[in-house]
Amino acid sequence: MNLIVIFISAALINNFILSQFLGICPFVGVSKKIDSAFSMGIAVTFVMVISAMVTWLIYHLILVPFNLQILEYVAFILVIASLVQLVEMFIRKVSKPLYDALGIFLPLITTNCAILGLALNAVLNEYNFSETLIYSVGAGLGFTMALVIMAGIREELELAPVPRSFQGAAITMIVAGSLALAFMGFAGLI
Amino acid sequence: MRNRTVIQEFIKGLWEENPVLVSLLGLCPVLAVTVSAENGMAMGLAATFVLISSSFLVSMFRKVIPGQVRIASYIVIIATFVTIADRFLAAFTPDISKSLGPFIPLIIVNCIILGRQEAFASKNNIGRSLLDALGMGVGFTLTLLVLSSIREILGSGTWFGMEIMWPSFSPWQVMILPPGAFLALGCMIAGANWINRRRKS
Amino acid sequence: MSNTAKIIIVLTLITMISGGVLALLDNYTKPRIEAYKEKVKNAAVDEVLPPNDRVEKIEKGEYQFYVAYKGNDIIAIAFKAFGGGFQSKLVLMVGITPDFTEITSVKMLEQVETPGLGTKIEYDPANKEKPAWFTDQFKNLKTQPEITYVKNVKPTKNTEIQAITGATISSKAVVIILNEHIAKAKATWESN
Repeated sequence: MNLIVIFISAALINNFILSQFLGICPFVGVSKKIDSAFSMGIAVTFVMVISAMVTWLIYHLILVPFNLQILEYVAFILVIASLVQLVEMFIRKVSKPLYDALGIFLPLITTNCAILGLALNAVLNEYNFSETLIYSVGAGLGFTMALVIMAGIREELELAPVPRSFQGAAITMIVAGSLALAFMGFAGLI
Repeated sequence: MRNRTVIQEFIKGLWEENPVLVSLLGLCPVLAVTVSAENGMAMGLAATFVLISSSFLVSMFRKVIPGQVRIASYIVIIATFVTIADRFLAAFTPDISKSLGPFIPLIIVNCIILGRQEAFASKNNIGRSLLDALGMGVGFTLTLLVLSSIREILGSGTWFGMEIMWPSFSPWQVMILPPGAFLALGCMIAGANWINRRRKS
Repeated sequence: MSNTAKIIIVLTLITMISGGVLALLDNYTKPRIEAYKEKVKNAAVDEVLPPNDRVEKIEKGEYQFYVAYKGNDIIAIAFKAFGGGFQSKLVLMVGITPDFTEITSVKMLEQVETPGLGTKIEYDPANKEKPAWFTDQFKNLKTQPEITYVKNVKPTKNTEIQAITGATISSKAVVIILNEHIAKAKATWESN
């Protein structure tokens, strides 16, 4: 039961983009086409799940026993940066089609605050291993969903007569605001 | 880039290359912490501190750090300064640390900071890098201050905690909720675009 | 020097220096941060306990009980309760009568809920006279059979509190945490 609540809350209620403001940069940058938005979302989800598990293990098996919590930020960001590299090399070796689909997005992910934010949140909320796993899957899917919805709207926006000053980033923010408003409705779910 | 004067190096971060309104970098903290002017200001100053200190170190060691591991080196340097900022806030201004809470560590992945190291500090001497960092930092802080003031004044009817609206004013609660952040920033970007167009024509 | 060696040396040096600087920082700031936390906790203990002659700290199981005496009689006990809120961990200091049936007072220690909505469980800027009206409701609240909440109407029973409009989940979380921890703390306190 608790796991379901964590999942729903991470995916919908506390949606990473629309209510926690994590991962806004790719949200503005990559959400122009549905295809690329979807690929980016899946790549992020993939890295999120792996990095959440690895950082959880590092935090609870190394940092806490040795009382090194002060190294939390440095350790986490190093782990995430190296993980992204490893994942990239691994995918390139194992699956060419998958690499073609996700490859160009992977380097961008290192500086995606959603990944670091997720790892830090899992520690802050004192989740255990399985909760962290569910939390990261939920957050990743929520992220993908917000990205895809946004891309769908932006494809339509291309045809809409937007006032000149609002073209580009400004109208994206306004649309995101309306989406965030809609997502607030999910708060009634739990 | 070489022929910019010292002043221009500093000024460009304030408007022309404003990291938030023009380059759209570092938006996560911009949206998340700007519920009150005090928070916005504190976040801006913390990020400026990290930006200036990391630019200084990166520029100083730009010839020593091998190209392949430059990103890794930059993020370790940045993460170290962020930890310092985080701990100092927690030790000396616990109230601010409490409300900024989880957003301080995210300065590490703030694209402005890594972006300036990659685009500027790793290629320029210490003096210019410091000016660039200072300009970007001040531009970032001012933008945060304006956005958070708009949100706090409309959303809570206060500014830095002081009552400034008339008594019958009913706060627009949406402004301090997540949607308000997007709406306010969208209008600010549009405003900046409009001013730029007017200046050009 | 080969390039690989250079990479390894530079990275090792950078991380070592970073580690060293942070170790110094930790030594310097930790006492201050701990002292501040201690101060906040003690202030909260004072606030939730009724006027007393002395407070004794007793550790039992996973709880630290702060026991208030008047003469030789125990008049109230304070302990920390915590659990998940809407989007953050909530930590509360609870003061309660020695038989665990009536709360003396509750104080919010930690929360990072939605600004403007969930944060009202600690501080509601719209209520100028009583910004902490939500936690104030727990004063002299009966805990048996259990604490409950109502929405949008004034509480009628002596175990009821009113949830915050727009922050039902945060309000509900506080009630759940209290019910759970009061039962657990009672069992711990009465065991030997």
